[in-house]
Amino acid sequence: MEALDVSSSNFDIRYSEIEDTPYLKKWFSQDEILQWMPFSDREEGELALKIWTGFFRYNACLTATFEKIPCGMGILYLMPYRKVAHHCLFQLVVPPSFQKRGVGSSLIKNLKHLAKNYFQLEWMQMEVVEANPVLPILKKERFYEFARQEKFFKYEGSYAARLLWECDLKDARKE
Amino acid sequence: MQEKSELTIRPAEMEDASSLAEWLNDEKILRWFPMTSEPRELDDSVRIWISYARMGAGLTALWEGKPCGMANLYIQIYKKLKHQCLFSIIVKESMRGKGIGRRLLKEIEELAKEMFQIEILHLEVYEGNPAIHLYERAGFKRYGIEKHFIKEKEGQYRAKIMMQKEL
Repeated sequence: MEALDVSSSNFDIRYSEIEDTPYLKKWFSQDEILQWMPFSDREEGELALKIWTGFFRYNACLTATFEKIPCGMGILYLMPYRKVAHHCLFQLVVPPSFQKRGVGSSLIKNLKHLAKNYFQLEWMQMEVVEANPVLPILKKERFYEFARQEKFFKYEGSYAARLLWECDLKDARKE
Repeated sequence: MQEKSELTIRPAEMEDASSLAEWLNDEKILRWFPMTSEPRELDDSVRIWISYARMGAGLTALWEGKPCGMANLYIQIYKKLKHQCLFSIIVKESMRGKGIGRRLLKEIEELAKEMFQIEILHLEVYEGNPAIHLYERAGFKRYGIEKHFIKEKEGQYRAKIMMQKEL
């Protein structure tokens, strides 16, 4: 699979809109996506969808499009309390047909920019299931691991660790 | 230390919300929690905490019949996460040093294991909190630290230490 030309006019990243919801809903039901998510089926995915789309109104979600069609989405889970409002967790989802083509990397870059320049955040964190293919992208984007919680996930009798990675948005050298 | 017979534990009730709100509205206690004393933040956190009482996931400690502390299991909703659980404990500032936190910790572990089949209990505690020693003595091990989790009014940061224990 070739990398998309993320500088081409066919590729764009914009704020998420309510019309993007069906795409996210579809992705949340795909096994290739579910294996890396805390939810495990369509019913649980509906709940996650409701939480995600609830952040649209804050301009905290971005959608990547290719030829105007959504091909990935990212979200900043803004914190509700003042003492912790300087950082947030984020998440992204890229459907299988667009993975390994630069969409995730582009979404992360744009989420970092949004977090730093629009929300004045200082740190961004992501929690992932161990061995998640997003890890090399996080590393490339100057994230580092600060916690590893063994046995956090349990699926069909097998356990997996939760990894917590973060990025310092204040360091100008990193942008 | 007074006799523990004055201390009893019962399931948390919705009516305990007022005691919880009163304890949280104390800067000495609030410094160990992520919210500020703004009514919106306090009300929100009390609402979330007490909502777990409906599931039977909360405990209230009584000293001579009056609420003096609470413990809560944040039961997970997703199946992949239901075997583990985050919990928190609060003890009224004036009732510290009476073994209430230790007793709540023991009881919440039992509740987690027996009622919710929790295999792993975990917690988040801020650096400098004397409760860290209680958790260490109870067998909780550190698995991570988020160095800039809290940003104080003065601009200083306080780390969040994450610990867990297999039951």
